[in-house]
Amino acid sequence: MIRHLRAAALTSAALVCLVSRVGSQAPAPAAAAPGFDLSGYWTAAMHEDALERGAGPELADYGGFPINESARLFALSYDASRVTLRGHQCDGYVAPYSVRSIGNARAWEERDPHTHRLIAIHWYNQTFEGHRVIWMDGRAHPPAWAPHTWMGFSTGRFVGNALQVQTTHLKQGWLRRNGLPESDQATLVEFFVRHGDHLTHTSVITDPVYLTEAEVRTTDFFRQHTDHQSWLFSCDDGEQILGRAPDNVPNYLFGENPFVAEFGKKYGLPAAAYLGGAETAYPEFPARVAGLPAAEGASRLRPAPGASLTSRAVDPEPSDDEIHVWPLRDNLYLLAGDRGNIVVQVGGEGAFVVDSGSGRLVDKTLAAIRRLSQSPIQFIANTSFRPEHTGGNDKLRAAGTDPSVRGTFFALQFADAGVGATIMAHQNVQTRMVAAKRPADGTPSDTFLEERRRTFHNGDAVEMFWERNAVTDGDSIVHFRRADVIVAGDVFTTTQYPLIDLQNGGSVRGEIDALNDILRRTVYQHEGEGGTIVVPGHGYVCDEHEVVEYRDMLVIVRDRVQAMLRKNATLEQVKSARLTADYDTRYGAATGPWTTDAFVEAVYRDLSRRK
Amino acid sequence: MPNARRRLTTAGALLLVVTAPVLAQRGGPPQAPPTPRAQAAFDITGYWVSLVNEDWRYRIATPPKGDFAGVPLNAAGRQAASAWDPAKDEAAGESCRAFGAAGVMRQPGRLHIDWAGDDALDIETDAGSQTRVVSFAAPRGTGGGWQGVSVAAWDRGDSPMARGGFFPGAVAGGGSLRVVTTNMKAGYLRKNGVPYSAAAVMTEYFDRFDLAGGEALLVVSTEVVDPTYLVTPFWTSTHFKKQRDAAGWNPRPCSAR
Repeated sequence: MIRHLRAAALTSAALVCLVSRVGSQAPAPAAAAPGFDLSGYWTAAMHEDALERGAGPELADYGGFPINESARLFALSYDASRVTLRGHQCDGYVAPYSVRSIGNARAWEERDPHTHRLIAIHWYNQTFEGHRVIWMDGRAHPPAWAPHTWMGFSTGRFVGNALQVQTTHLKQGWLRRNGLPESDQATLVEFFVRHGDHLTHTSVITDPVYLTEAEVRTTDFFRQHTDHQSWLFSCDDGEQILGRAPDNVPNYLFGENPFVAEFGKKYGLPAAAYLGGAETAYPEFPARVAGLPAAEGASRLRPAPGASLTSRAVDPEPSDDEIHVWPLRDNLYLLAGDRGNIVVQVGGEGAFVVDSGSGRLVDKTLAAIRRLSQSPIQFIANTSFRPEHTGGNDKLRAAGTDPSVRGTFFALQFADAGVGATIMAHQNVQTRMVAAKRPADGTPSDTFLEERRRTFHNGDAVEMFWERNAVTDGDSIVHFRRADVIVAGDVFTTTQYPLIDLQNGGSVRGEIDALNDILRRTVYQHEGEGGTIVVPGHGYVCDEHEVVEYRDMLVIVRDRVQAMLRKNATLEQVKSARLTADYDTRYGAATGPWTTDAFVEAVYRDLSRRK
Repeated sequence: MPNARRRLTTAGALLLVVTAPVLAQRGGPPQAPPTPRAQAAFDITGYWVSLVNEDWRYRIATPPKGDFAGVPLNAAGRQAASAWDPAKDEAAGESCRAFGAAGVMRQPGRLHIDWAGDDALDIETDAGSQTRVVSFAAPRGTGGGWQGVSVAAWDRGDSPMARGGFFPGAVAGGGSLRVVTTNMKAGYLRKNGVPYSAAAVMTEYFDRFDLAGGEALLVVSTEVVDPTYLVTPFWTSTHFKKQRDAAGWNPRPCSAR
């Protein structure tokens, strides 16, 4: 009995200690709030927006979305036939739209096998096999130059009774799949709340490019207790329309979408009501609907008169005067920070560097390369003669050596052959750098005239392809075939309209051909994303999706300028028509080296001379 | 008494003896339990404006008769919806059918929520000028009107941890306001006569989410169960944005059209 009493007393004392200790603690901070288990099978209740989410939205129905002019014009220009293009057939849904889609979802936890701390919550959507990873371990979001994906990069924490999730790095996708866009600049805040077997999901989308205020949506899910075993949604693209020209991107010219009136006729609503805008979501709006004049709707089908808007996108290039290294794949790395992007392949045969930046931070570039590889730089490939891609040539060259040249017949002709790195480029790069009196040590010494230059280096087949008359007449893209990384140079950027440098041999047609040439070489990994990595001359690391959207944009703008040229429009008339209005909030610039006006003028002048 | 049972009993008694005073002392002298208002999981009061971007076409204008996509109606429900006649409703003095508790939250409008004492909330809507009293104690009234009878509770989950009953220091922040509404006068889920019956039971969860920049959202997750007209529960979630003041508050009468 004594022994029993002693044991009970000890137990009681321990409990008292526990209660006292816990009770004396301050309330847990919000971030450390006890979580709940999201795991299980969830099916979206389709009671809201049932037709839109099931069969699909009606054309030109943008009511309730706080969209700006850019978004509306983008959507009105969108021809659903665009999904027949190879580059769009397998487009996935971006995270916020994915949650809203029809189908089932499954959630599960990933825990550290030793500590059982929650590392991540996985949310898998059946539609387009959208697999989200919500990191719960406190990790930081990637930098601005990191790739964007359909699902984006998500971090979460429990706040009160909700799982709050923050998502960045989303691809361009749909707010609604009738053409209403969400940009790659959108960010997402979500709240998951469980009420028993009822899950309410709230998403708050902020998009400086296409929205005037946050877009809030709430979606209901109910819990399934059994696995319905239908999880796959595979997609493989194919030939859908034979013989279509590669520069054919289905689109409607401003004011010529033939389906705009359909929705209004069907439901008795004026166009100004269903063409969207923040005001259409507020309670004051119903009283105005009946009185909205037809002219107000008609005016929204074309760009409003006035000055062009400018980009609201985040600058994806670092501006801290440091060189930042981002691993691409295998032995390839991006070096960002010296204006133009630099790519380095490292290995026993010496570094292979594509482009050398502006040269302003070349010492730091060199230091970064040396941290990746102790071997001297053997090759430098230039995608262009432009200073932000060749500015560091001379110093990088001096820091390298090309042992493959020494002792060869070629070495007999040059006293310093093989002493520095070999600089490769198309002949026109050399010609233009010589003409510009650039330092001789930084001028390409190994040039080619047609098609491609190839070499096998550090275990990879490396090919430079000449993109004839794209941005200039000397552009190349560099394809590391084993790593499957394409370095696009200024042929493709995420920061501005295509820099069509007519004076140096650039052309609209050549630029479209160059973008299509990239797309002929890319292979996506899954649902239109991943696979071949495309490094732009400026901007964040991409895959083929961003190139497709960029190609589409250029083709569409070209079509619009071409249509006005057919009506003998002057340059001033073309500029004042704001033919880039749906892209200006993403790529537009009013100042700097490449303005919207300069781009439109280049397109106009190039097409005019070919008229 | 077998030894094992005796040991357990002894230990249990000692536990009670030893821990009870400690637990009691933590709260000091016996006090009245906190009121629902004092226990509020979040501040629900103030003016909230609806953001109508879901079911927009059904909410921003009255949809055509027979257009009830998404609502899990049974045959009787479809028949009733197809017989919708707003003129008849007006003549019968029942223009508020779409402004009953199960329909009014979907109307474009603003909410004004405030405490009515320590154990009830008033939820006013400017659409249809309706007021629903949500009681945390005994039901207020017997219902039968458009707003029925609503009983509320703060819902902090089911675990002792979440309730704060066992480890008070570890209580979760936040929680939901759970409201169950019964005894509603038959009305419309949508303005074009999509029906719910007097037998319908509506369960709502109100959640507040605070955003960066000081904005806040109120999300109302609603389940309507109606054995008369629905084959499954009807689920919607409706969201409102917090207003600083009463700007835009515009009480207006019900309208059948």
